[in-house]
Amino acid sequence: MKAVILAAGEGKRLRPFTETMPKVMLPVANKPILEHVFDALKNTGINDVILVVGYKKEVIMEHFKEYNDIKITYVIQDKQLGTAHALLQAKKQIKDSSFVVIPGDNIIDQKSIIKLMNDKSKYSLLIKEHPHPSKYGVVFLEKDKLQRIVEKPPEEIGKFISTGIYKLPKTIFAEVEKQASEGIYSLSAVIQNLIDEGKIINTIQTDAWMDIVYPWDLITVNEAMIHNTPSTTAGRIEKNTVIKGKVSIGKDTKIYSGCYIVGPVIIGESCEIGPNVCIFPSTTIGNNSVVHPFSEIQNSIIMDDVHIGSNSFVTQSIIAKGSRIGNNFSSIIGGKGVEIEGEFKKLKNLGVMIGEDCTVGSHVVMDPGVIIGRKCKITSMKRIRENIPSNTEVM
Amino acid sequence: MCGIVGYNGFRKADTVIIDCLKRLEYRGYDSVGIATVDKKLNIFKEVGEISKLENRVPSFESNIAVGHTRWATQGGVTRTNAHPHIDCKDAIAVVHNGIIENFRQLRETLEKEGHKFISDTDTEVLAHLIEEKYDKKKKNLEDAVLSAVKKVKGSYAIVVACKDEPDKLVGARKESPLVIGVGDNENFIASDIPAFLKYTNRVIYLDDDEICTVTKNSIKVYDKNKKKIDKKEKLIDWDVKDAEKSGFPHFMLKEIYEQPDVIHQVLRGRVSEVDRDITFNEEVENLLKNGVDSIHIVACGTSFYAGFIGKYIIEELTDIPVSVDLSSEYRYFGYKNQGSLVICITQSGETADTLGALREAKNAGCKTLVVTNVIGSTATRLSDAYILTQSGPEIGVAATKTFTSQILVLLLLALKIGIIKNKIGRDEIHEYIQQLRELPRKVRDVLDKNNEILKTAKQLKNAKSVFFIGRGVNYPLSLEGALKLKEISYIHAEGFAAGELKHGPFALLTKNTPVVAITSKDNTYDKIITNIGEVKARGPKVIAIAEENDTEIEKHADIVLRYPTNSNILSPIPITVILQLLAYHIADLRGCSIDKPRNLAKSVTVE
Repeated sequence: MKAVILAAGEGKRLRPFTETMPKVMLPVANKPILEHVFDALKNTGINDVILVVGYKKEVIMEHFKEYNDIKITYVIQDKQLGTAHALLQAKKQIKDSSFVVIPGDNIIDQKSIIKLMNDKSKYSLLIKEHPHPSKYGVVFLEKDKLQRIVEKPPEEIGKFISTGIYKLPKTIFAEVEKQASEGIYSLSAVIQNLIDEGKIINTIQTDAWMDIVYPWDLITVNEAMIHNTPSTTAGRIEKNTVIKGKVSIGKDTKIYSGCYIVGPVIIGESCEIGPNVCIFPSTTIGNNSVVHPFSEIQNSIIMDDVHIGSNSFVTQSIIAKGSRIGNNFSSIIGGKGVEIEGEFKKLKNLGVMIGEDCTVGSHVVMDPGVIIGRKCKITSMKRIRENIPSNTEVM
Repeated sequence: MCGIVGYNGFRKADTVIIDCLKRLEYRGYDSVGIATVDKKLNIFKEVGEISKLENRVPSFESNIAVGHTRWATQGGVTRTNAHPHIDCKDAIAVVHNGIIENFRQLRETLEKEGHKFISDTDTEVLAHLIEEKYDKKKKNLEDAVLSAVKKVKGSYAIVVACKDEPDKLVGARKESPLVIGVGDNENFIASDIPAFLKYTNRVIYLDDDEICTVTKNSIKVYDKNKKKIDKKEKLIDWDVKDAEKSGFPHFMLKEIYEQPDVIHQVLRGRVSEVDRDITFNEEVENLLKNGVDSIHIVACGTSFYAGFIGKYIIEELTDIPVSVDLSSEYRYFGYKNQGSLVICITQSGETADTLGALREAKNAGCKTLVVTNVIGSTATRLSDAYILTQSGPEIGVAATKTFTSQILVLLLLALKIGIIKNKIGRDEIHEYIQQLRELPRKVRDVLDKNNEILKTAKQLKNAKSVFFIGRGVNYPLSLEGALKLKEISYIHAEGFAAGELKHGPFALLTKNTPVVAITSKDNTYDKIITNIGEVKARGPKVIAIAEENDTEIEKHADIVLRYPTNSNILSPIPITVILQLLAYHIADLRGCSIDKPRNLAKSVTVE
């Protein structure tokens, strides 16, 4: 069976991290979300993937040349009109009677995919019970059969949501084309119309599904996924380094003397850590990053090419590719009230989120939940209390 | 150059050979051929694309075959001249890469003895020479091949199949690459690794004057006196995926986009920010630690320009004099100073001109260092030490990622020599290493400007001629920019040192000759601004490639393409990426065959 993976979207709510890459390429447990989706397809019998790309497609194409034994065919969605429109781009590639469609920006597991593939009905959908369904497409069922999908209802109704992962018959393309001509581009809407026409759509529950909507979700999902990564140790580890728990260290990485690392932690390739650096759970550090002496990092996502100066404290934070953090940096951990799409929410236990290619001077302190855009420059001795948009210089 | 491949195993040989030939396509070719062996030889040849041949070849139940992509050197592009070539009895098939220099004399002698020739190629003499000594009762194919190759002068890599010994292939080489791919119950012989990489990554390299016998489950290698030689297998860590296009419209664009990652690969394990040091493998360290007083860089084509850029970088960082020569010149005319370190740069490690130069340098007693992309290649085996550019296979004929990695290797080398000679302090090294670590990001920044560069390309696509100018390290970059443009877009392009324009080239400048000026904010900045003024006065459009924070430049140029500032020493790499994208888009807009430009071949294994 073939799978169509939708990976064309930007993920606007995840800016600034999606300014240079599509959402599917954000790292979770040190690899792109999309790679986790591919992992879930392993040994399911799906060995042919149609990857629909659009926004910043080169970033995906450069990374996913091939995945184990799965053949990848790229199709391009030039304008991101909607999920049904994205699916339509794959029409020519689908020859079998049924196929699977998976959004490339959610975490899913192999078991759920197999359950979906083995389901007898023509149309099937994976659903998940969710405490806050109103952010998603809420589904209403009758004996497991789908009755209604309501996209992002204004109030908390229902308890199950659609994961957007379907098994569909090839005939869906004719339906999608027909509805597209009427201006309907969302897959949920197409499915709703099919239900109205009397088609039966079966639903299957899954627990493994996870979504990332806002930047801080990355930290939570990272923490959950880091446990699933097998630990491997390469690189060079100097004497008097303490490593406890599940810790992965990539090729050509050097851990200098006096480091104390408590897993689960993943450190990528070609990094330099230490001497005397403490890394606590559940931290991931990408490739080619450097952490200077006497710094402490915990429960954070440090991406590729990042530089963290001496004596710094980074916790519950995200630092995106290529950012340089000066000496004696400190992220204050705490709660923050945020307004999301007209709704006020109190977030707890949050550090900072720094976009790509920022330069932060020494002795900078940042308040909980602060988001720094891409390519910002912050001079030394600053206290940052508010979000800073991309390309800003803080003097 | 010509690609050759032989297969002996359990799969359908014609399918395997066609598949392998497709992976050699990037070397450039004008005709193809295949011979499968069952009770007789079945030979099919075609002028043009491999797919044309594929459609014509019927299915054979044979598990042994040879194939060839030809890049004509001797004899026109015709079906008859395509390989394999056969003897008078239709028993022996030969595929060959290289040049037999004495083929005319050999052919005359053979014709006198009654051999009938049908093609104009030098290769055909090999088939007849083998026939001369072959005795099908004795089954002495190896002996016949040995006696044949002893008679020829020149270079060759050959694979021979014979209908009377349908269980084996015989290979031989001299000065042209040949490598055996070791599989399970199947083996390959090919001119380069990507041909069979899909099937195996275990390889054995054949050296000059060696021959091999390959059956499906045994490999024997002999020297020219038929004494058996023990050869070690090497593991190739390239990925098959690197040899596929993965959604990109051309290999060249894919390879341009791979550069941030390639820079990571080059730096890997070689730089240490904490230790403030650059490390190479032991042979290189030994070569450098005794001190280097002068350097001679020898290379061809794009590698030559990488070397030329290296000259500016090494001289600035180490105060050592560096001269740069073309391999084809140095080999015969270059002054070979025994005290010099000779650095040969060759992507494939098989470039015939550069190998010739390398041998000459060695014979003269120079210390030799090779910068190459292919582990185990001839160049790595001839030289005292080598540094790998770690770029993975490059398929596009126009060099992109290997060029930037060559520059980067030379830069690391300069830093290392600077450290050894105490020309660069540890603080300075620390700063350079930090900047090196930022380099992949800087290149990504340039890639992000792809659309802007495409817009500029639209303005240049109809030009008949384009000039590239620059000073200092931007001069060899201008040469490279011009080379990239002419080789893939077929627009006439020239690179000049900006100060030289008024000494001649101005005569060619009309208002329809766009000029690409590469600028840096160094001590010649005012001079290049003056040069731009001189150009503008004659009417052409000026496209400036300038630093991100250069606010002066837009007053002088019509279009400005910007590269992120790091330091002048590192700027050639982001600038190169702009030049590559510019050439790529112009060629694409003109509908050129970007990955396989006309008349060009990837690794030039003939002189």
